[in-house]
Amino acid sequence: MKKLFSLLAAAVISLSLIMSVSADSNVTYSGNSGDFIFTPGSEHSPTDLFENFKNVLPGDSIIQPITVKNNADNKVKVKIYMRSLGAHENSKDFLSQLNLKVRKSADNDMAYMFDAAASETAQLTDWVELGTLYSGGVVNLDVQLDVPTSLSNEYSDKIGYLDWEFKVEEFPVSPQDPKPPQTGDNTQLWLWASLMAGSALLIVLVIVFTRKKREE
Amino acid sequence: MFGKIKVKLFAISFAAIVVTLLMQSTLAYYSTVGKATNVVTSGNIQLLIHETTDGDKPFPEKGVYVIPGDVVSKKVTIENDCAHPFYLRVKAVYGINSQELSSDDCFKLNINTTNWTLHDGWYYYNGILQPGETTPQIFSHVEIVGAKVDNSYIGKTLSLTVKAEAVQSDNNPITDDLVYTASGWPNA
Repeated sequence: MKKLFSLLAAAVISLSLIMSVSADSNVTYSGNSGDFIFTPGSEHSPTDLFENFKNVLPGDSIIQPITVKNNADNKVKVKIYMRSLGAHENSKDFLSQLNLKVRKSADNDMAYMFDAAASETAQLTDWVELGTLYSGGVVNLDVQLDVPTSLSNEYSDKIGYLDWEFKVEEFPVSPQDPKPPQTGDNTQLWLWASLMAGSALLIVLVIVFTRKKREE
Repeated sequence: MFGKIKVKLFAISFAAIVVTLLMQSTLAYYSTVGKATNVVTSGNIQLLIHETTDGDKPFPEKGVYVIPGDVVSKKVTIENDCAHPFYLRVKAVYGINSQELSSDDCFKLNINTTNWTLHDGWYYYNGILQPGETTPQIFSHVEIVGAKVDNSYIGKTLSLTVKAEAVQSDNNPITDDLVYTASGWPNA
């Protein structure tokens, strides 16, 4: 019995370790022009998304998954964007030693949106659209930090702050839109719906006028 | 004539409806921006040197009085005091009246050669010291070599300083299990 308990305890500990390693950070839009919610945060910043990038050592290559989610209600869909504001002034020297990559995960699109020194804004200087999300929709990002083996002792015990901004634009959901949840759908269904409605109206008008003209 | 005006009116109305529909589709209801301040921290390597004597009491900071031939109990271990595993090496530095001695003739240490390997004046710990772990004793006593410590040492202060250095073992491969082949040793 004792052995079984030990095994169970070991299994629980192992599971919790795996969960803590693979835990995603989250950027959640609550809807109605409300705030973004950033989790998990850290002792250094309540909006910290880089849970896995702590106590890094030379030679480390670490990935931080981030899930961007639209929690707005079903009446709206959102276009969601992100950009980098770069490193804080007193963090630039340290972060310039590290390389950061940002890409949409394999579920979305593997293209790199950012690949530069962590202190720079590079390809994320301007707003980059992540996609159009319906209620419950998500975009998954993989952020990779590479620490060079040449990083010297003078950079031990350093802390670097890096600001990112996220922006949403809400749009009304039309009946022609797919039923939620949908993820990462960039097609502009509203355009085709508008044209279809306009064409139908035109046909009706033509028929009405033709009949009236015949009557006259 | 009236009919033509009506057609024009309907055409304009139709165009207006289409434009309105398009505009409605391009105008957002709301726009919101949120800022995340992300943080990267770098780790470090920290160790503690433990020096004890008989009864596991701390070795006296003021030192002990010795005469030639004495064997002093001095047990030295190293503890990993950080979150990362590391390689470790230790060196004994000898001195007299605050001057470093070039020779260790005055002292004889019972070095634990099972767990430590001598290379270029340093004793390398044979393995990786995990966070929170403490090494076996490097040595447990120091003998004051009577044949070397003559009357000229009377009233003088002999010192034996243990110096320890560590480098991370993560991302730091070694060759043939030889710890001294690790990268990053200071002044290597």
